[in-house]
Amino acid sequence: MVASVDKIGRREFLRAGLVFGAGAAGLAAGYAAVPDVFARAIYAAKQEKVVNDKVLVMIQLAGGNDGLQTVMPLADASYRDLRPQLSKSADEALPISKDFGLNKNLVGTKKLWDDGKLAIVQGVGYPKPSFSHFDSIRVWETADPDRRQQDGWLGKTIADNYDSAGHPLVGCACGTTGIPGALRDLEATLTVVNSQQSFKWSGGDEMEKAMGALYTSTPGIYGALFDTAVTTARDTVAQLKSSAASYTPKAQYTDNPKLVYSSKNQLAAALQLAAQLIVTGTGVKVLHVTLGGFDTHYTQQQRHDDLMGYFDQAVSAFYADLAAHGMSDRVLIATWSEFGRRPKENASAGTDHGTSAPVFLMGDTVKGGLYGAAPSLSKLDTGGNLAWNVDFRSVYQEILDGHLEVDAKEVFSQSFDKLAIIRA
Amino acid sequence: MDELKAPEAPLAPEKKAVLTRRTVLAAAAAAGAGVAAARLVALANEPTFDRVPITGTQGNNTGLDWLAPLGNEAARVSHLLRRTTFGATAEELDRAQTDGYAKTVNRLIDTTIAEPPALAGGDDASQENPLNVGALQQWWIDWMLASPTPFGERMTLFWHGHFTSDFRKVGNQYPFLYWQNLTWRKNALADLKTMLYGVTIDPAMLRYLDLGNSTAQSPNENYSRELMELFTMGPDAFTEDDVRAGAKALSGWREPRTQAMIDADIKRQQMRTGQAPKTTPRADSVKTGVFEAQRGYKGAPFTYLGESRVWNTDAVLDKILQQDATAPFIVRKLLTAFVSPTPSDPYVARLAAGYRKSRYDTKALMRDIFMSPEFTAADTYRALIKSPTEVMIHSAKALGDKTLSRIVAGQGQGMGQTLFDPPSVGGWPQNESWVSSNTMLARANFVTAAVQATKKLPSAANAHNTQIDGVMSAQTLKLLNEAADDKRRWSILLASPEFQLK
Repeated sequence: MVASVDKIGRREFLRAGLVFGAGAAGLAAGYAAVPDVFARAIYAAKQEKVVNDKVLVMIQLAGGNDGLQTVMPLADASYRDLRPQLSKSADEALPISKDFGLNKNLVGTKKLWDDGKLAIVQGVGYPKPSFSHFDSIRVWETADPDRRQQDGWLGKTIADNYDSAGHPLVGCACGTTGIPGALRDLEATLTVVNSQQSFKWSGGDEMEKAMGALYTSTPGIYGALFDTAVTTARDTVAQLKSSAASYTPKAQYTDNPKLVYSSKNQLAAALQLAAQLIVTGTGVKVLHVTLGGFDTHYTQQQRHDDLMGYFDQAVSAFYADLAAHGMSDRVLIATWSEFGRRPKENASAGTDHGTSAPVFLMGDTVKGGLYGAAPSLSKLDTGGNLAWNVDFRSVYQEILDGHLEVDAKEVFSQSFDKLAIIRA
Repeated sequence: MDELKAPEAPLAPEKKAVLTRRTVLAAAAAAGAGVAAARLVALANEPTFDRVPITGTQGNNTGLDWLAPLGNEAARVSHLLRRTTFGATAEELDRAQTDGYAKTVNRLIDTTIAEPPALAGGDDASQENPLNVGALQQWWIDWMLASPTPFGERMTLFWHGHFTSDFRKVGNQYPFLYWQNLTWRKNALADLKTMLYGVTIDPAMLRYLDLGNSTAQSPNENYSRELMELFTMGPDAFTEDDVRAGAKALSGWREPRTQAMIDADIKRQQMRTGQAPKTTPRADSVKTGVFEAQRGYKGAPFTYLGESRVWNTDAVLDKILQQDATAPFIVRKLLTAFVSPTPSDPYVARLAAGYRKSRYDTKALMRDIFMSPEFTAADTYRALIKSPTEVMIHSAKALGDKTLSRIVAGQGQGMGQTLFDPPSVGGWPQNESWVSSNTMLARANFVTAAVQATKKLPSAANAHNTQIDGVMSAQTLKLLNEAADDKRRWSILLASPEFQLK
């Protein structure tokens, strides 16, 4: 059904001005008929460039995750001096080496570590770090510490490598309403699904058809944006319907009822939707979900421990679900956060904005272990912050080259130090 | 119902531009500039301005812009009301049209902003009787629909997205978020210094950005940073040393305590320990932060934003207002909300110069904005996207049913906007950020729910003129013509791209 589309790249479509308002609903109807045997099939390959069935799930820990309460430097003598209150967390840490321990609530994550499926890259950062949430989020989203790029690195990856015409789910943000900056690229078709339950036309076929007709060749500066969003919504509704019908979760996804502060992010629900999209063969390649609440300027210990628990529950269930469906070998889970936090705690028993922090890569294709090096707590910079020693783009490069098997150099226009984390 | 007809007028000259999505969006910059022509359909009945028929509707002419009717005073007044209120009733529209543009601007700005009725239980919120966040949201939405000074509500909503706080961090065991809304409204058109002082010592803000537990001995940097980066100057106008110095200078504030909060504390302690506490704090009489000198900075002068002296909160704010970055930063944010997604640098500079010269008189600034030629220039026509709250309140007003307020409160989330719950301390991103597959679906679903729930639908016969200036695409015109009844006609109109824009 998409044969004619496959032969022509998305850029050509754009050049010809044909892509907007294309009868994508018809394509979506075709997808509804995808049989189970194709659930692992390769969709969305662009011009025979990408021929695998790998999926990437990026989890954003929004607000600046405190690396030192995530992976604790148990052997660093300065740790307890800098954090008289917060270092209490270390008493209950889950040791992963003689020097380091995971947050006590990362129980399922620790199991992945024990199984050799968790790689922890330490000291990840970038030159001349920004302490602004928004600047630093943009740096990580665009993979550009100079802050000149507009497009997100994942959006660019999709636009460069996947023929997304008629495949609205190639790039998908779950559990949110807007397009995350990392996915943003005007040439990548993306969908955003806040929740499976509400993603349908409450006005039925009549409203759906009216919307399709209203949003065709819409004039004005937002015309193409509107039309694409509505077309994508129609496609996505159709695909989600058939996807939901053929999915039964094989793990328990629980929200943490205690967690008022961050429950708006609904990480577990978002990851359940992600699992559904993956195991039902919708052709999804890149998923983005967010857990917020990491800006722990005050009473950090309990808040951060709770967030770790929330993260752990959701990710453990997600991994178990994928494994039970026989799909965990396809999926890489990776975390990112705009910055780590200041090693010295503040008077509010919290921490202020900092620099480098560890990044997690999880999955069957990961060679578990510690990568990079944890920056020393006794060699802080003049602002009292941690040094960095792994450029975050080295991690991205490994994700693209090693896991998605696309050309990272094409996306970043340069190469970075190689991290050998993904099994060949 | 009268059939709507495309008029039989001569073809308008039209410049076709094939634009890719990239050019269209990346150069939202251009905001239509260079894309000359457009399509305007004046309807057969009551055309209020030149009729220009559609041409070239077959194929893909997404590069075309709306043809702005703003050469016409009546259309300018509608444009003004769309951007400064939540849509006018027929009477309000008549009055504004009679008054004309300039007089309407003055009335919007000079009328004292009406206070909402008190929120039941708002002032007495405590651990025992927490603030009901749903009721708080409903209360504000009710007032957006009912207020005789909707411009005041638009400004309050603007500041709520600028000086943000959210209920998740602020919590509901205090009246603070309710008070914050009252304070933002009270200061919505005050001079910027008054506003900033109110923001700095606002109890919800003291909690949201941690200034309320910052001490000189160990200052918390959160508020100091965001005050400069997000509230006044922008990210590149200060150093990390300024953040630290500012935190020191601003330290010493604490949140106020109400009698209800204290009583709830005592009761809780009694339940826990079996006895009343020996000493209890006294309630504060103010609805602002309380300064405790012993927690603030006392000591030698230090440098903040290039000046060395002994600092306090007042001096910090004055220093920020002396920075060259401040007026352009605030002005650009206002222009992006009220005029154009990409205001030009000279336009920003011009208005910023006036703002600073007026000692940051926000009323004078808003008057300058609405009276500036840019505000009614053709390329600003439909150059902004209504936020979810704006589009919903506009819809409810158009449908003339105040009981739709409940639906409004429930449906913002899927469109990306829940009041008192911005996505981050940066507030809500505007314009194109409101558009995704999820949000467009949610906008359509809101229309379905609202039209369904309206008890007595008003006639839709003239709605295309009152709501969208009679300027619409061929598709919208066709669907309105095909709609079998008012219910369908309203659904088409409120779900249309035309109605999403302002």
